[in-house]
Parts: sequence; structure tokens; C-alpha cells
Amino acid sequence: MTRWMQFQLFWRSFFLQAGWNFAKYQNLGLAFVMTPFLRSVYKQDKNDLPSVLERYLESFNTQPMMASFCFGALARQEERMAQAKTLAEYRERLSEWNSLKRSLSITTASLGDRLFWGTLKPFTLLLALFIWLALNINFFEPTPQRGLSCLDVFGACIVVFFAFNAVALFVKWKGISLSYDAPNNGCFGLTQFDWNKTIYNTKLFGMLLALGLLLGGLYYFLHDLASFLGLQFITRAIIVLFFVSISLMTRDLRIPNMYLYIAAMLVFNIVYLF
Amino acid sequence: MTQVLLICIVGALLELDTTYAFQFTLSRGIIAGPLLSLITGDLMAGLQIGIFTELIFIDISPLGGLLPPSAAVCCTLSLALCSLGIPTYFAFFFGVIGSVLFSVCEVIVRKNRSQWLTRQEHIILKRPPYLSFVVVKALGISFTMTLAFLLFYSAVMGSSFARLLPFLPEKLHLASKFAYMAVPWIGLATLVSIFRLKTR
Repeated sequence: MTRWMQFQLFWRSFFLQAGWNFAKYQNLGLAFVMTPFLRSVYKQDKNDLPSVLERYLESFNTQPMMASFCFGALARQEERMAQAKTLAEYRERLSEWNSLKRSLSITTASLGDRLFWGTLKPFTLLLALFIWLALNINFFEPTPQRGLSCLDVFGACIVVFFAFNAVALFVKWKGISLSYDAPNNGCFGLTQFDWNKTIYNTKLFGMLLALGLLLGGLYYFLHDLASFLGLQFITRAIIVLFFVSISLMTRDLRIPNMYLYIAAMLVFNIVYLF
Repeated sequence: MTQVLLICIVGALLELDTTYAFQFTLSRGIIAGPLLSLITGDLMAGLQIGIFTELIFIDISPLGGLLPPSAAVCCTLSLALCSLGIPTYFAFFFGVIGSVLFSVCEVIVRKNRSQWLTRQEHIILKRPPYLSFVVVKALGISFTMTLAFLLFYSAVMGSSFARLLPFLPEKLHLASKFAYMAVPWIGLATLVSIFRLKTR
């Protein structure tokens, strides 16, 4: 695959989910991403393109950042199909293509969800919160402080943006060539990275950061109160303890945070009113 | 009103980043909130709403066909309501409710899109270059529908609540502030459990 073709797949991969729907998920996006490659493979037989596109318009769903592994592997298999000499060989490769599309999309979705949504997104959030606390920005108060500079606010945003996208774009770009060039027994380039170790180490570091932030936040929330036995201190300490323990308990019951907040809003309003 | 319109247009563009195009995470609360606050001029309110949005939705990920409430929509609605003079603690609550409603609307849109796409696929198979046009059309429809929702919700909620606001007893303000103050602690405790080591 040429660099230009890899770039075209990479660029179009940003629109993989453009037509996301509940019947065939990312089918429109997959066909859109693969079109330049299919055109180059079938440039001698342009009449074949609609029937090939029909296969790509079948159901497809995976994690968008890890989808690049599917693009490379499908491109490689498509080339093999175009080179088939007999009908039996073509049918065999077509069946391989179908099972590859199904199995690889499930594997990459599972890895991508854990890596990007389950680990990297909360990790970069922690990073931003740490930067803002270090800059002395108090985001805990309901009436926030005024007079912030753009640099204070956007510095952490830029760090988060680049930290997340550096990993995402690297995986998107590298995944295409790795899976395209992978040998037949190479698991489509997926084994080039130790995904489990990466996720484990990031989670370990994230756990320490999260605990540090919880304690740091607690200190920040309470340290400037005049007396440890004052009403304001006790009220704040009760709020923190109550919601932290409720939040930890509801994790096991799988109750989302937003319902907890909506419930708190309703209960407090009813209690205060009556 | 011009400010609300501008916030909604930028919010609808940011919402495309959530699913349909790019996914550069510009639609995350901690980025969308401060970005939108450049329009309102209150950077701290944007930052706080952004952080709170991210913390409140951090435990729901877009896995499989699951559609979590949109952080970009929540920030847009909260800041649009703030710019209409509604206090942050009320605006955020209506922002959260609005984003939950938006995800319900989005499910309906995605179900109907399947039928629309089936019709488009027949044309694509006859004329393959039409595929790029369908992608652009899908993005355009998503943007328009999001913008319509944001404008409608901000206008209805903003005007009705702004009229109600002077008659609300002080106790309701206190109670809402109290619940708003709980958001970062609910979120931070969730972060600890998110990083529980289950892998390897």
C-alpha cells in the first residue's frame, strides 16, 4: 500500500461513524473509507465496484480509533480476492474476508473500548484536574472565582487534547500499515503492542492519581476554613463524606452518576421546602 | 439572543465531534465548556460546567449501541441558559436533563436513519460516487437536527424558567446549590472505582 493510499484511508477514517444507525452501524462509513482502495484494486474492472461495495455496506461495528486495524486487514484480503485465479479460490477468500471482518471488528472494539473510553479518557481528565488544582483554580465552589486568564483555562485543555489525540492518531495511522503488512499468522498486527500491559500500567497510575486528587481536593475544599469545629467545616465535611460513600456504593449497583445528582437535586429541594 | 444562537451553532458543530466526524474529543466537557465560554465571556463558569459535565458522565461510555448523554449538548445548554441570566446551579441541572432528552431523540433519529440509508444504498450501488454525497448529507442532517434541538430547548426552558426565577423561594436556591456542590465529589469517587485493576 502506498503512503498516499494510507493517507486517504486515514483521512476518511475520521468519517467512519457519519451514518451511524441501529441496523448496520458503521456500514456507510466503512464503504466510504475503503472506496479509494477498492477503486485502485478494481480499476481494470470498474463494473465490479458496485457488487464489491455491496459487501462493504453490510453490517459493521467497531471502536473508531482501532478500526484502522480492520481497514488494513480488509484491504489486504480484498487484494487477495482480486488476484484469485479460480471461482473456488475466490469463494474461499470471500469466506475468509467475511469471517475476518466479523472477528477483527469484535476484537478491536473490545480493546479500543478498554483502552480509549475505559482508561485514556478518565486518565486525561485526571491530568487536567491536577493541572487546574495546581494553578489554584477552585472549581469546587458553586459561586466560582472570577478573573481567570485564557492560558490558565486552556493550558490544561491543550494538554488533554494532545495527550489523547497523540495516542489515538498514532493507533489510527499505524494500525492501517501494521495490519496490511502483517504476516498470515501475525494477528493482523495487533500483537505488535502489549495492550493489556499498557492498560494495566495506565490504570495503576490512574488509581494513584485519582486517590491523590480526591485527597488533594478534600484539602483544597476545607483548608481555608477558620475553625475545624465550625458549622461550615462540618457541613462541608458531611457533604463530601456522604456523596463519596454514596457514589462508591452505587458503583456496584451500576447506577449512573447523573441519576444520583438528579436524585440529590430533587431530595434537597423537597427537604428544604418542607 | 444572538449569544444563545452563537452558542447553539458552535455547540451543534462540537456535537458532530462526539460521534459523526473526527472524534478529536473537542466535544468532551473539559474542552467544550471552556471553548463555549469564550462566547459568553465567563471563562470560570464554562470551565466549572465543563468539569462537572465530564465528572457526571464519566461512568457511561459509548460501548456497542449504547448512547450516553452528550457532554457537548449539556455544556451548550447550561451555558446558553447561563447567558439568559439563569444561575449556574439551575442551568447545569437543566443542561443534564436536556442532554438526557437529547440522547432519547438521538436514538429515534438513528432508528429512522436506517430506513433512509437503505434507500440511499440503492442509489450508491448504481452510482458509487454518490457515497461521498450521502456522507456529507448525513453530517448536514445531524448538525441541523442538533441545532434545532438546542435552540428549541434553550428558548423554551430559558424563557419559562427566567419568568419563574423571581418567584422561587430562597430555600430552593440553597438546595440546588447544595446538590450542585455534590457533583465533583460524586465524580471524583467514581474515578477511583473506574481505575480499579481488573485487567491482566
